[in-house]
Amino acid sequence: MIRRLFTPLTLFLMMLFLIGPFLIIVAASFSAGETLAFPPQGFSFRWIIKVFTIESFRQSFGVSMFLAIGGTLAALILGIPASYAMSRYRLPFAETVRFLVSMPIIVPGIIVGLALLRYFVIPVGMSVTLALFVAHTALILPYAVRVVSASLANLRADIEEAAVILGSSRLGAFFRVVLPNIRGGILSAFILGFVTSFNQVPVSLFLSGPGVRTLPIDMLGYMENVFDPSIAALSSLLAFLSIGIVFAAERFLGFSRYV
Amino acid sequence: MFQNRAEGLALALPAALFAALVFLVPVVLLLSEGFRNADQWTLSAYVDFFSQPLNRTVFLRTLKLSALVTLVAAVIGYAAAYAIVSLPPGAKGRMVGLVVLPLMISPVARTYAWIVILGRTGIINQALQAIGLTDEPIRILFSETAIFIGLLQLFLPLMIISLISALENLPRDVVPAARVLGAGWLSVFWKIILPLTKEGLVIGGTLVFTGSMTAYITPAILGGSKVLMLETLLYQQVTVSNNFVAASVIAFILIVMSFAANILLKRIASARRSGK
Repeated sequence: MIRRLFTPLTLFLMMLFLIGPFLIIVAASFSAGETLAFPPQGFSFRWIIKVFTIESFRQSFGVSMFLAIGGTLAALILGIPASYAMSRYRLPFAETVRFLVSMPIIVPGIIVGLALLRYFVIPVGMSVTLALFVAHTALILPYAVRVVSASLANLRADIEEAAVILGSSRLGAFFRVVLPNIRGGILSAFILGFVTSFNQVPVSLFLSGPGVRTLPIDMLGYMENVFDPSIAALSSLLAFLSIGIVFAAERFLGFSRYV
Repeated sequence: MFQNRAEGLALALPAALFAALVFLVPVVLLLSEGFRNADQWTLSAYVDFFSQPLNRTVFLRTLKLSALVTLVAAVIGYAAAYAIVSLPPGAKGRMVGLVVLPLMISPVARTYAWIVILGRTGIINQALQAIGLTDEPIRILFSETAIFIGLLQLFLPLMIISLISALENLPRDVVPAARVLGAGWLSVFWKIILPLTKEGLVIGGTLVFTGSMTAYITPAILGGSKVLMLETLLYQQVTVSNNFVAASVIAFILIVMSFAANILLKRIASARRSGK
């Protein structure tokens, strides 16, 4: 009897703990009441609608979108050639390069942000937006290199050698043979980078400045001062956005093969 | 394999230079701040740091909570992973998907949920008052307990995933065989499951431990400004006290921890590849 119950009971409790809080947030965001509470008082869309009317959220959403898209693209532009060099060339200092580009994943984000602020952003006199952009690019670079490297490793190197022998230029072989074959890996790297950057807090903590903040930082500030369900509403919206992106990616790309 | 070294280097150089310039150099400079006093190298900042009771408390609390989260995650993780592995293939895939799902949701959103649950008017307090266990709302938020719960929920999926892949490699018949031969569940776990899934446990454990050590959002939201962990202390040292030397000391501690964990993981991964 106990044996028969073990599996369903364990799974139920685990899911209650992992997913339950998220469901509560979703329920709370449809509340009609003034304060955050569960069970929600009544049912309405007022907080979902209110989220879109808060000016600072609209601004920081724009900043976060720009960083997630721009930072991921920049990381790919840096990361794809580096991954290609590491997998196809007898590269001097290959280990050093690998170590350098994968380090931002090991060092805690808050330290990256502080170090960058004190020893790069301030001395160079960089704008807040550019500083955040550089930091997010550095943060995504390890993911981009890892995912693109994995998909390069699955692609046989002799097909591009064949293309070169048959008269294609090295560059032409890359764009016409290699790139189309690692398309799925690049898209997966893009999605992973996007989600990572969009949800990132510690790196942006010190780098955010007056008027320019990322959405999660803005949310942290808002929830310290206001105790209404709008953060719950915003959290649910963002969660569904991330889940939707990842779901679509898994369906159309087989995302989990690369990550 | 192309032999042209210069070409290869030219392709890799932009990424490497970028990482060195915006990453390696600033971090090294930041860390060196903690070892310098005027013009000489010294450890006095570290002595200062650990001589203050508050810093010691925060340091020990961070270690304690991280270890506790790792331990509890391992216990729950084994039960959950074992249950998931024993499911039929289709249900197993969906269940793994549900375990991974929270990792895609913003940690701010995930942590915020606990305010609704643990707060003064939250579900727990409502329930306690309803059944008459307490008259006044008890304080659960802004405590070590709240941070512990938040961290456990944040990092448990990593442990479960690591243990699932370890348990899947467990030879099919060993557990039933041991049972038939008369071993109790506890000795099956200690003598068979644990030794054979040790690698998965170490991988999951390192991910959970370093994740907890270096978490910022959870202690910031659920610990408040009083119950600090190393990352929130670092933030406070910079923004409130302007004490960059102390910040550098904390940064060094966190980096050493992360690197040690990372080296451990690499060791295990390479030992597994070479087939030991």
